[in-house]
Amino acid sequence: MATGSHPNRSGTGTFGFDWLSVALVLGGVLLLYYVVPLVSLFLSVPAGEVLARMNDPTVVDSATTSLLSASISTVVATLFGLPLAYWLARTDGAVTKVVLAVVVLPLVLPPTVGGIVLLTVFGPTSPLGEAAIAAGVPLTRSLAGVVLAQTFVASPFVVVTAKAAFESVDQTLEYASRSLGKSRWTTARNVTLPLAGPGILAGITLAFARAIGEFGATMMLAYYPRTMPVQIWVAFIELGLDTAYPVAILLVLIAAAALLILNTVATNPWE
Amino acid sequence: MTLELSGVRKAYGQFDFGPVDLTVEEEVLAVLGPSGSGKTTLLSLIAGIVAPDSGSIRLDGRELVGLPLEDRRVGMVFQEGALFPHMTARENIAYAATASDRVDELATLLELGDVLDRTPPTLSGGERQRVALARTLATDPDVLLLDEPLSSLDAPIRKRLRDELHGLFESIEIPTLYVTHDQRTATALGDRIAIVRDGDLEQVGSPSTVLTRPTSRFVARFTGNENLFDGTVIDRTTDGATVRLGERDLQCRTTASDIHTSTVTVCIHPSRVGIEAPCAADGDRTANTVTGTVTRWLNEGSEYRIDIEIEAGPITLAANVRPPTFERLALENGSEVRVVIAQDSIHLIPGREE
Repeated sequence: MATGSHPNRSGTGTFGFDWLSVALVLGGVLLLYYVVPLVSLFLSVPAGEVLARMNDPTVVDSATTSLLSASISTVVATLFGLPLAYWLARTDGAVTKVVLAVVVLPLVLPPTVGGIVLLTVFGPTSPLGEAAIAAGVPLTRSLAGVVLAQTFVASPFVVVTAKAAFESVDQTLEYASRSLGKSRWTTARNVTLPLAGPGILAGITLAFARAIGEFGATMMLAYYPRTMPVQIWVAFIELGLDTAYPVAILLVLIAAAALLILNTVATNPWE
Repeated sequence: MTLELSGVRKAYGQFDFGPVDLTVEEEVLAVLGPSGSGKTTLLSLIAGIVAPDSGSIRLDGRELVGLPLEDRRVGMVFQEGALFPHMTARENIAYAATASDRVDELATLLELGDVLDRTPPTLSGGERQRVALARTLATDPDVLLLDEPLSSLDAPIRKRLRDELHGLFESIEIPTLYVTHDQRTATALGDRIAIVRDGDLEQVGSPSTVLTRPTSRFVARFTGNENLFDGTVIDRTTDGATVRLGERDLQCRTTASDIHTSTVTVCIHPSRVGIEAPCAADGDRTANTVTGTVTRWLNEGSEYRIDIEIEAGPITLAANVRPPTFERLALENGSEVRVVIAQDSIHLIPGREE
């Protein structure tokens, strides 16, 4: 039997062909696919021109709207999400599984569908929407609408990531603290939260990054005031690709800042 | 302070704990049992980590069931210490301390001066347990619970810390429950020992009572007594009985009320089996003497463990022999020996069941 041309067990054959090199090449192509367009974006427009256009009212307005709404959404998601995350981390059973599935639902639901779902509850023709308009705080085409859309899509990141962070804190430590005469709240503040802190911060960062990039549901609920993703779309449709660059670059920088936080003070949940 | 458990019961799926009735005064109760027998459940119920299905747990008359664990004044030292990893040893103790000078006081008592500013991951197992103990004592608890605090330590450190704990327990006068699966630790530290089996208290008594007067084969076996034989009581007197073991009749001292059945388990602790040369002069004339042959021996360090096949009776008796005796008698496999068992070294357990 002629076996000389077959690769041997370690994968290195007569052609100098091995699987590690294949993985490196395939992975390398993928990495280039991520990085090259980003670099290309920064090279597409002269830096001076981008800086000059940063003062454009549409850019400033959309950045303000996005930062404000994403901040509010993140605070809301954290306020409502942390207790739920703690409960999920410390409970077992069928109910927990169902609740977790509900939490994950907005993550797997297409954002535009999320927007439609929200419109049925908060839309101008819904009872709640009508009441809100009557009260002078419309829930669509308003900052409130942006926050509603972003919270729906982004809050699961807080719950899911913080749940994992809480689970990593040994429950024995909480019992130990309470057996030392400390209340649940004192225990949470001094033991659980500090130990789960980096993981919770990761969840908050991811939620903020998701909120600031939210487009689909926001489009449905609040086309105005324009957030940065909406502004990019409007600029691209009305005036062409070039005019969309400055806001896109801003979003890339915010994403980079989120990555920086994930890899320094927070616990990167994907590591 | 008196801790009183009555009718405490807890069911977990297949495992039933209790009902347990137990009173612990200002003493150390060593809770001894195999893993999975319910020792930790007992502590968790008293600490308030687990709620009982029924029953009451009172501390000087105050009902603890229903109180959250932070309001019970029950201190617990957890198996691996459960120190807060983000705090130094000092911060761990200070977190619990009721007064600021307690930290230094306890650091001195438990010799922690050198490690106070280190974090738990950098401490050795023994240091961690000392810090954990200091942290618990800093709250001045009314009850102290310790869950196998020495089990993860190496033998020399375990022995040293055990000696230290012995001294410490003398100085604190609160009900203390010390859970362990190690009989030596239990007898060394316990004023009394409670043997736990399948969620029930099998026997509670002083270490010597539990060791020499086990109430069941399980207790005997778990405390290192493997000389358990089926016997039949053939005669009783006011303070003794004659029991037939194989083809031998042995005299033993016992109170009649102990033995209410004629079928019994004859229990002879290996440390109470005397070994002499076959021709030795009679010492204690009331003692039972039989002859036998050494069939196996094992050097266990501080003593030898030997198996003796008893003449006239298919019985193999285990005996602990101190090295000087072992060497004087020049014991080896096949050696003929005379076995001497004092009347009060034979303990009878009613029935023959495990």
